Formats: sequence, C-alpha cells, structure tokens
Amino acid sequence: MRLGAFALVLALCPAAHAGPRQADQSDGRLEFSAIQAGAKFTGAFTRFRVALDLDPAHPASGRLDVTVEVASIDTQDPERDEILRGPDFFQVEQHPQAVFHAGRFERVGDGWRAPGELTIRGVTRPIPVMFTLAPGAGAPVMKGSASLRRLAFGLGHGEWASTEWVGDEVDIRFELRLQPVG
Amino acid sequence: MPARNSSVRYGWVAQGLHWAILALLILQVTLGKIAHELPVGLERLVMMSRHKSVGITILALAVIRLAWRWTDSPPASPPMPRWQALVAHLNHWGLYALLFALPITGWLMSSAANRPVSWFGLAQLPNFIAPDARLKEVFEEAHELLVNVLFVLVGLHVAAALKHQFIDRDGLLFRMLPGRRS
Repeated sequence: MRLGAFALVLALCPAAHAGPRQADQSDGRLEFSAIQAGAKFTGAFTRFRVALDLDPAHPASGRLDVTVEVASIDTQDPERDEILRGPDFFQVEQHPQAVFHAGRFERVGDGWRAPGELTIRGVTRPIPVMFTLAPGAGAPVMKGSASLRRLAFGLGHGEWASTEWVGDEVDIRFELRLQPVG
Repeated sequence: MPARNSSVRYGWVAQGLHWAILALLILQVTLGKIAHELPVGLERLVMMSRHKSVGITILALAVIRLAWRWTDSPPASPPMPRWQALVAHLNHWGLYALLFALPITGWLMSSAANRPVSWFGLAQLPNFIAPDARLKEVFEEAHELLVNVLFVLVGLHVAAALKHQFIDRDGLLFRMLPGRRS
C-alpha cells in the first residue's frame, strides 16, 4: 500500500529530475519583441545554446545557461538587422555572444523562476527568467519569458538612445524541446 | 453652404473631403520622397512612420468619401462631348481606386517588411500578411508604380478642370469651391 502510494506520487510528478537537458535553435525558438515607431514587431535569434539542470527536489542548486550568438539576430528586415548588429546596438564583432547564467531556481505557481545574470555587450545585469516545464512528445518542453530594458545594456547609442521612436522595453519569449545531454 | 450637394455645387462635406485629401496627398508624397532619399537611420524611421500615419488617415478619409458619395449624388456636369464625360468618369473612379490602393499597398509592404503600421503612435494596425522579403519587393514596386499613375491622373484632372474654367468658361471649378455663384 505504501509502495503503491509512492509509485502514484512519482507518476503524478512530471518534473521528476531526468538529468541535465540541452537545446539549441533546432529545438525551438528564441524570440523578442520591441516597439518601433509605435508598433510592436517580433524578431528572433537563430543560433543559441541552452543548458538546463533542474532537480525539482533541489532547486537551490542547479543551473540554466544560455549562450546566444547575437549576430544571428533576425527581424526579417535586413536594414534593421544591420543596425542592430552594428556599433550602436549589439556591436557583434567586439561582443559576439550574449550570455545568461542562473545557479538556482525558485518555484512560482506551476512554473519556475531563475534569478540570474544576463550579459550583453559586456554589460551584466540581474534579470529573472520565468519558465514552465511540460512533458512533451519525447522531450519536455521549456516555455518562458523574460523582459529587459535595452538601454541598461547599452543597446542604443547615439540617435538610438532616445526611447521616443524605439521603446526601451524588450520582451523575450522562448519555447524549446529539451534534449538529453550526450 | 449646405452639407449636401446641390444641383449646381458640392456641399461642404464633399468639398471638405476633396480639399483635405488633396492637402494630405501633397504632404504624403513629400514625406514619402524625403523618407525614400534619407539614409537608413532614425530620421528615415521617423519620416516613414509619419508617412504611414498620414497614409492611414487618407485611407480612412477615402472610406468616408466613398460612403458619402454613395448617399449624395454629385451636381450635374456641364454639357460636354460624350468621350470627355467618359474620360472624366474613368479618371474620377481611377482616383478613388488609388486612394485605396496606395495606402493598402503601403500597409501590405510594411507588414511584409515586418515594420508594422502605427497610426501616430496611438493605435497599431494588424498585419494582414506575414513578413516575406519577396512580397515586400512586390508591394514596393506596386506602391511606386501607383504613385506615378496618381501623378498622371491628378495631372489630367487638374488640366481638365482648368480647361473647363478658362477655355470653356462653363464654371465647372465653382462646383468645388465655396462662396461663389455659378
């Protein structure tokens, strides 16, 4: 009877620790949206790596690491992409990667909060990433969001430092099928 | 001056829409030309976004104008040869069609370029098509072609009005002006 109850608890716990997981651009999308001239547009990064090690029984230890090749920014507008890769925004030649790292997790409702640090263009700021883990077909699906202020990371120099025509706030969304490592 | 058209003169609603749309078209062509010649940058973004806002305003006025015309018959035309009446008729409907086709091709071009349209930063308009570089080129070509058609039809319209006024001296122009007896 006691064993049966234990098996039931295991079966009902979809987030049971299954070892470290990873994902890249072939496993889903990493998107962002921002306001330009009063209108919201969406873009994506098409080269990135995600590593997640989350044991629901021990959320205080673990890690979420995200590395984004910022030159892969794609807003489906070649003119805008060129400006974003250039010296006034990502300065991709000097800072080819944006990096997020969190070393612990907190339970929030049905999901998780990863309080971590994001580095873009050499500037590091704390930002929390919120996500949920759902059992998917074959691979768990990690879905979440974060939001940041671009100017805090030096994204927007010169004429682009004004927020009148390009908003400060950028929303990030991702949805990834997590693969086993190895 | 009455709101509705009389048998000899347009009312103030039809006249107001006619001259307001003319003023906006002059502004619109100027903004478009300035934006087109600017290098990629903030100033061009600003000019282009004003161009889009004015374009949507023209589209809205065109809808009102067509609806008004539906309910309020224009004053009788002065006597003229049958072919001239036919050309005038076709030219008028061509101009109406352009008041729709120009903003709509511009709108579709913006959607295809993933630069959604905002009306003066107050309201974002929906994208009717997904971003698509090839379609953006198609609508851009169409938009530019239609502007040239607009120049030809407006030129013909103005030349015909001046011919009636100063050669035929049939008082046709007074139909679209306030305050003068025809």
